[in-house]
Amino acid sequence: MADITVTINGNQITGHAGITILELAKENSIDIPTLCYCPDLPPMGACRLCVVEVAGSKALVGSCHTPISQGMVIQTHSPKVMATRKIIIELLLASHSGFCTVCDKSNICELRKLAMDMDIGLSRFQSKKRYFPIEDISPYITRDLSKCVLCRRCLQICNEVAKKRVFGIGYRGFNSKVIVDLDQPIDKEVCRDCGLCITSCPTGALSNPAQIGEEKKGTPLVIRG
Amino acid sequence: MPEKHIVLRNCGVINPEDLTSYTARGGFQALKKALSIGPEQIIKEIKESGLRGRGGAGFPCGLKWEFTRNTKEQSKYLICNADEGEVGTFKDHFILENDPFSLIEGIAIASYAIGVKKSYIYLRGEYHNLSGRLQNAINQAKENKFLTHVNIEIREGAGAYVCGEESALMDSIEGKRGEARFKPPFPTDKGLWQKPTVINNVETLMNIPQIILNGAAWFNQIGTERSKGTKVFSVSGDVACPGVYELILGSSLKELLINISQSDNIKVVQIGGATGRLVPGTAIDTPLSFESVLGAGSITVFNETRNIMDIVYHTMEFLAEESCGKCTPCREGTEVMKLIIDKFRCGNGTQHDMQLLTELSSAMSLASLCGLGQAAPNVITDSMQYFRDVYESLIPANLRGVKA
Repeated sequence: MADITVTINGNQITGHAGITILELAKENSIDIPTLCYCPDLPPMGACRLCVVEVAGSKALVGSCHTPISQGMVIQTHSPKVMATRKIIIELLLASHSGFCTVCDKSNICELRKLAMDMDIGLSRFQSKKRYFPIEDISPYITRDLSKCVLCRRCLQICNEVAKKRVFGIGYRGFNSKVIVDLDQPIDKEVCRDCGLCITSCPTGALSNPAQIGEEKKGTPLVIRG
Repeated sequence: MPEKHIVLRNCGVINPEDLTSYTARGGFQALKKALSIGPEQIIKEIKESGLRGRGGAGFPCGLKWEFTRNTKEQSKYLICNADEGEVGTFKDHFILENDPFSLIEGIAIASYAIGVKKSYIYLRGEYHNLSGRLQNAINQAKENKFLTHVNIEIREGAGAYVCGEESALMDSIEGKRGEARFKPPFPTDKGLWQKPTVINNVETLMNIPQIILNGAAWFNQIGTERSKGTKVFSVSGDVACPGVYELILGSSLKELLINISQSDNIKVVQIGGATGRLVPGTAIDTPLSFESVLGAGSITVFNETRNIMDIVYHTMEFLAEESCGKCTPCREGTEVMKLIIDKFRCGNGTQHDMQLLTELSSAMSLASLCGLGQAAPNVITDSMQYFRDVYESLIPANLRGVKA
């Protein structure tokens, strides 16, 4: 395949034709934050955190789904991009009913890590909070959709890797929700013990059923900003 | 500039249930001419005519056709977007109700030019009452051997606003949940079932037979430099004569609102529906063209008795309700905006909120996935530009340093 040369942050970088901006940036150790992106799976472009500035384009483009083309001039960390990413994280935090202190995954939470990287302490926005009952009737998986950020990685992993198609999206707009069947609590009849979605979940929405005496994973995160 | 009927020329004149009344007015002559001149010539005519998409984005129609025709894929699709969901538009309903045959002819010509074997009409769910009439028109055209080269199928939506957006529309036809896809790839490259697809608005396709019959040069002389032809407007709100009017592009808003639909005391006009722009009553000389403001042709007039914050709030409420929920900025942003505007509506705004609205608007229009999210903050940015004093008056006096 032919090689394509693009300019990222002022440096000329060459990559294979057909790869996306995000893949090229990763190859060259440029860190673009992502939330909905699963390596090697088709992109979704849902979280919009990976947006970058491409010269000639009026809006920002999602780097996870935009293939590189010859002569592209890309800015991955311009002030415009950083401000937009910060607002997206703040929006997610605004509706996230996160009780981080009592969340088992708080030290390995990607949302919290991203917020920390961008120096976001508390969100400036006020929004409705998502509250859903915890679904813990399955012996294999516990779902707490109050913590869901709708990145859809569980859907992607379940559809493309496990090929079980357990999850779907229900409702619309702010009320949209990852559902099982016709919005039934997940039980052992629809989902067996593969656990792929649990490892893919960036927040504490999907977790292994709690065991007595279990300690929090990861080293404590420091909240800045 | 006066009214001119190109799209609406048969409306109210022919019997929409009877094909013979349409052929008596020169119906299907354009299709005959098109079949004789061949696909390349048709696309050349459309390109030269300068016809731009009437759905709001204004993409040159001929180019779209050419891209799809030139792909190597054997199966391609044409979709007629009759999902007229924009707030305050009813032009397509009027067209489909009164002249379904011109649309069928337009689709037949377009299908022949692009090389499509299968076309869809994506009809808005709420327009279920029109599907019988449309199916009847298709059947009559088929019986008279006008549709030998293409199969036209009607698909009805389920009432989602976002399905008027072309990529969500394709998902909906595929039987999936209607959600926007990222671009590129564009529909002309990978559209319906990942095959090249042309999606045209009803009104765009209605123009096709007349352009083919009268030639590109005739169409090219109507309108302004970059906006050719006419546009059908749906005028509603505080006007004496609401209705569907067809005007030459470049006509001023004043002509449409004062001379034709007789409104007065205009405070603000919303052009292009919920995702459209606001034009204050003082800027009524604005021309209606792709160069300035147009959208899908919906014009809602609000007079001096209306509260600007109510207009903004209800628009945001609608958008928050209709957001598909896929991308973060739109899903979360519309909800946050709705809550902030509600604060102002109750007289509890702050300077900080205005700052947040500005930042959020820019982030949403930059980062959202589809047109809905990108255009959702329009009503906020426009109202903050023209009615900043209203916003400021809704900040409590003690927070402004003014004597209460």
